[in-house]
Amino acid sequence: MTIEERRAPLIKIWSPSKVLSQRVQKLREHFYSFNDREETNEPYAFTTGTEWDEVYSVHDWANEPALYPFVPSIDQTLKAMAVKVDLPEGYWNQGLAKRRAVFFHEVMTRYMPTIILDGELIVGFNFNTALSRSLNKSETKVRNKEMDAYFREASRLNEKGFGTASSVGGHLIPNYAKVMKIGMKGLVDEYRELLRSDLTSKHREFVESLIISCETARDVGLRYSKKANELAAKEQDSKRKEELQKIAKILERVPWEAPNTFWEALQSLWIVHMLVMAAESYPGAGLSHGRWDQYMHPFYKKDIDEGRLTREEAKELLHCYWIKHNYVYDYQARLGINQGINSSFGQLITLSGCGPNGEDMTNDLTRLTLEVIEEMNMFEPKPNIRLHRNTPQDFLIRVAEIVSKAQGSPFLMNFDEHSIEGMVWQGVPREDAWDYGIVGCLENTMQGNDRSDTVDVNINLVKAVELALNDGKDAASGEQFGPKTGDPTSFTTFDEFMVAIKAQLKAHVELMVKVGNMADTVRAKYQPVPYLSALMDDCASNGKDVNEGGTTWNFNTMEGMGIATLADSVAAVKKMVFDEKRLTMQELLAAIELNYEGYEETRQLLRSKAPKFGNDDDYVDEIARDLSVFWAEEVFKHNNPVTGRRYRAGYLSWNYYVPLAPLTSATPDGRRRGEFLSGGVGAVQGMDSMGPTASIRSVGKLDLKTVPNGASHTITISPSMVQTPEHIEKLAALLRAYNEVGGTALQINVIDAETLRDAQRNPDAYSNLMVRVTGYNAFFTQVGRELQEEIITRTEHSL
Amino acid sequence: MATSGIITNIQRCSTEDGPGIRTTVFLKGCPMSCKWCHNIETIDPNAILVWYAVKCIGDQGCVRACPEGALELTPEGLMIDRDKCVVCGTCEDTCPTGAVKVMGKVWSSDDLVQELLRDKVFFETSNGGVTLSGGEATYQPAFAIDVAKGLQNEGVHVALDTCGYCSEKVLRDFLPHVDMILYDLKVMDPERHKEYTGVPLDTILVNARVIAESNKRVWIRTPIIPEHTDDEENIRAIARFILETMPMVERYDLLAFNRMCIDKYALFDLEYPLKDYDLVTEEHMEYLAQIARDEGLKNVVWSGMTKNSETKDKTDDQEVKTCG
Repeated sequence: MTIEERRAPLIKIWSPSKVLSQRVQKLREHFYSFNDREETNEPYAFTTGTEWDEVYSVHDWANEPALYPFVPSIDQTLKAMAVKVDLPEGYWNQGLAKRRAVFFHEVMTRYMPTIILDGELIVGFNFNTALSRSLNKSETKVRNKEMDAYFREASRLNEKGFGTASSVGGHLIPNYAKVMKIGMKGLVDEYRELLRSDLTSKHREFVESLIISCETARDVGLRYSKKANELAAKEQDSKRKEELQKIAKILERVPWEAPNTFWEALQSLWIVHMLVMAAESYPGAGLSHGRWDQYMHPFYKKDIDEGRLTREEAKELLHCYWIKHNYVYDYQARLGINQGINSSFGQLITLSGCGPNGEDMTNDLTRLTLEVIEEMNMFEPKPNIRLHRNTPQDFLIRVAEIVSKAQGSPFLMNFDEHSIEGMVWQGVPREDAWDYGIVGCLENTMQGNDRSDTVDVNINLVKAVELALNDGKDAASGEQFGPKTGDPTSFTTFDEFMVAIKAQLKAHVELMVKVGNMADTVRAKYQPVPYLSALMDDCASNGKDVNEGGTTWNFNTMEGMGIATLADSVAAVKKMVFDEKRLTMQELLAAIELNYEGYEETRQLLRSKAPKFGNDDDYVDEIARDLSVFWAEEVFKHNNPVTGRRYRAGYLSWNYYVPLAPLTSATPDGRRRGEFLSGGVGAVQGMDSMGPTASIRSVGKLDLKTVPNGASHTITISPSMVQTPEHIEKLAALLRAYNEVGGTALQINVIDAETLRDAQRNPDAYSNLMVRVTGYNAFFTQVGRELQEEIITRTEHSL
Repeated sequence: MATSGIITNIQRCSTEDGPGIRTTVFLKGCPMSCKWCHNIETIDPNAILVWYAVKCIGDQGCVRACPEGALELTPEGLMIDRDKCVVCGTCEDTCPTGAVKVMGKVWSSDDLVQELLRDKVFFETSNGGVTLSGGEATYQPAFAIDVAKGLQNEGVHVALDTCGYCSEKVLRDFLPHVDMILYDLKVMDPERHKEYTGVPLDTILVNARVIAESNKRVWIRTPIIPEHTDDEENIRAIARFILETMPMVERYDLLAFNRMCIDKYALFDLEYPLKDYDLVTEEHMEYLAQIARDEGLKNVVWSGMTKNSETKDKTDDQEVKTCG
């Protein structure tokens, strides 16, 4: 990367506000100066020192297709750099959960550096780890055998483009709200109380490991307190000295005690949060705060009401807190920065939303946070705003204003009424469902008691067409993957074709479940995370780790990719082969086999004259709905008997439509092999030509309650279309209507193709241009060329 | 009984044709022939066949399918013998790419109303609705009024976008069935009006009075066309007319000229008469708006494409900026 800017970009993009204090500007620059700064949060590996030790689990990362070839080298590198940890006597006589808890305690209190950056008010620096799995020799042997068996299957699915199956970390909301109320000490009190009851020895040991974990958080706080005092003693600047003393004092109390002030609450929350990432050896991806503005508001309000804090002081604390989340990116700062999306860590903060009776819950802190979001312009944490019928108009206008001013989307919007219907559909009682939160990008889960593994299993829905047209065979390899649904030329009606599609979908879901269960089971058996389990409701009383299905809600989410490509393909066959008979099945098969080479007329006909999802066209929208509900209900029939984790459907298709493109044969919608699949619940790129309202209505017809995870829907609008207050009001009205007739989550990118083209030509001048893709911010100039093209060609809806 | 009519396009999520989020219907047929017309395809009241060169893959399916033998693919492109062509649409159905297209589709008023209701929720949340535009919506009065009635029965806000050149009777028949009028006042000099638009001004001014008495919401719009309508005397005259005759007007819009219709003219083997005209500058738009304000108009808004400054030479890639 060159540092010199050849010329200034046309538009100043994603820069911080001028109102940031000197302190905050300096801290912000520190984060962005990765190549120069001394302090790094790159992962530190720690081992028990045994020759068989493992510090990396492929199932943690196997939802990312691009990583598969690199797994052995990452695994070996981390192992090679691992620092040996001295273990207390009797270590190996304990159960696995306790070993993990003790190991974590030793690492975090004796081995991890304690760095406090100059000027920062919220502290806690190093949390990226590769921790020993703490397995003994025989456990390791079995684990590795099971892991290998799983990874063989997962690789086969990945290589053939069927999808990915994994069991990744993060993607949940720990019960931070409870820690804010009772402190880690309060949790320990509960767990000690539990120990007084009649427990099996295994259960007892598990609860003890939760207590050790909570004490780890206490001791980390005390370590940083000590460090702050040391720095204070040396500090020449009296103002900073005072700050360091204050920080030291705060960390004497939290996170062990319940916080009393807003500052204490933010500090406590940061330590508790960063330790989850450390404990899981999984940096931030999807580890989310839940309804942060709700449980943090009392501290803010109290300080303001009692005159302890001004609004401006609160804001500076928030700025400092905000920056901390960004250091997750050090995890991959030296590598992988150009590997597609490079900013996928998604620590979400849920803002606003409704209360139990549909009332609005927006508060002063929500509004202050919107200012912080605007002023900081950083990757993390990623805000999601819950909108609903009773969202106040001034707040909605404010949201629309921020969307219209930002380059790329500053946040996603989740829509309460539709989201709540999904939660209820999957079994959450209606009286609880209103209090859902959002993880990862847009995935709906409950707070503090729900691990729904929202990106673990990802199914390429378009394969159903390929298989149905090839009697169950993968087109490229000829390998039999699906059931033999018959020679398609023998189908005399569309219904017969549909039966074949559904049979393939059903079998494909079963295949994904099989491999998904392998991953889930390996993690459950060999990778307990007692620290996280201590923060998840019911794990203690159930005597089960969160990874064993110990908390209240345990789903495993299967994310569907390419629903629009699937629906368009099926609709094209219905219209052209069966309804209008403009093509025979033989002709279609021949054209697809040759990837439409020499069949341009056929391809054009299928592309231009068959109806396409995303245009409010009932012909294809009904097919889309039928298929969506079908596969979603199939998914819901399955579970993993080992963890009790039930499968549920979602439409978070991340960037999978890129790697899957060459692995999916040509499709009857006129798509050639290699052309992208559709993303989320959006239309195939360039195929939605009726504008945003039609696109929204098509999505709304999918009956998304059967997809409780929620669905990613992106609309790109041009900045020129939201320049006046009158137009911002229209955008706000569009959001209100989305709540009535749209889907569960919407992302609006305000960016014009011209800007992006210019950025392609002058990457240096646009090194800070951010775009958001399915909930992920990325530096535009650093994403791969293919993805750049995809972003540019995505229809610009003019509003 | 449903009437039927002919339209060229239904534009959903329109934000430039009245208040809120709207669906705009472009009805076919217009009595005027403004030199700067942007919707050339809507002037002819009948359907017409067009050919898009960029979409054509040369398969000649249309040529073979044409029952009248009206099509021929030549090195210069698809030749449409308009004397033979009966616009039956066979070629359009045959074409795999959409390169041949019939401009103008017949709709029954009932079906059209149903189609327009699709975005009703968006109308409701935005205080938007349907705008009947064209061409000239009053050119197919029975059909357009039926559509307006049908929409109003469903509680949809209806705006009539009109040039004002229609019989007073048609206008009076229309008014009870619309909620607001977007009314064009283009040129206030009668001679220039006739020269630029092909029709006399007086009918339009008479109808403006009818509208003024109707108690409907009214927005007045003037296209700002270089050397045609963009002089300050014209804007001042329009502003004065509004103040004197239509004091209830809610808003006055100045719409900046653009040349985005050049390609559309080419479809009809025509050249855009104003193709060499330059965009108006932002300063000039603001200047004109200020003149209207100085005359006493309250809510004057300008929008559209402008060029950055007067100093620049005419080039193909001038920086354009949109506002409003």
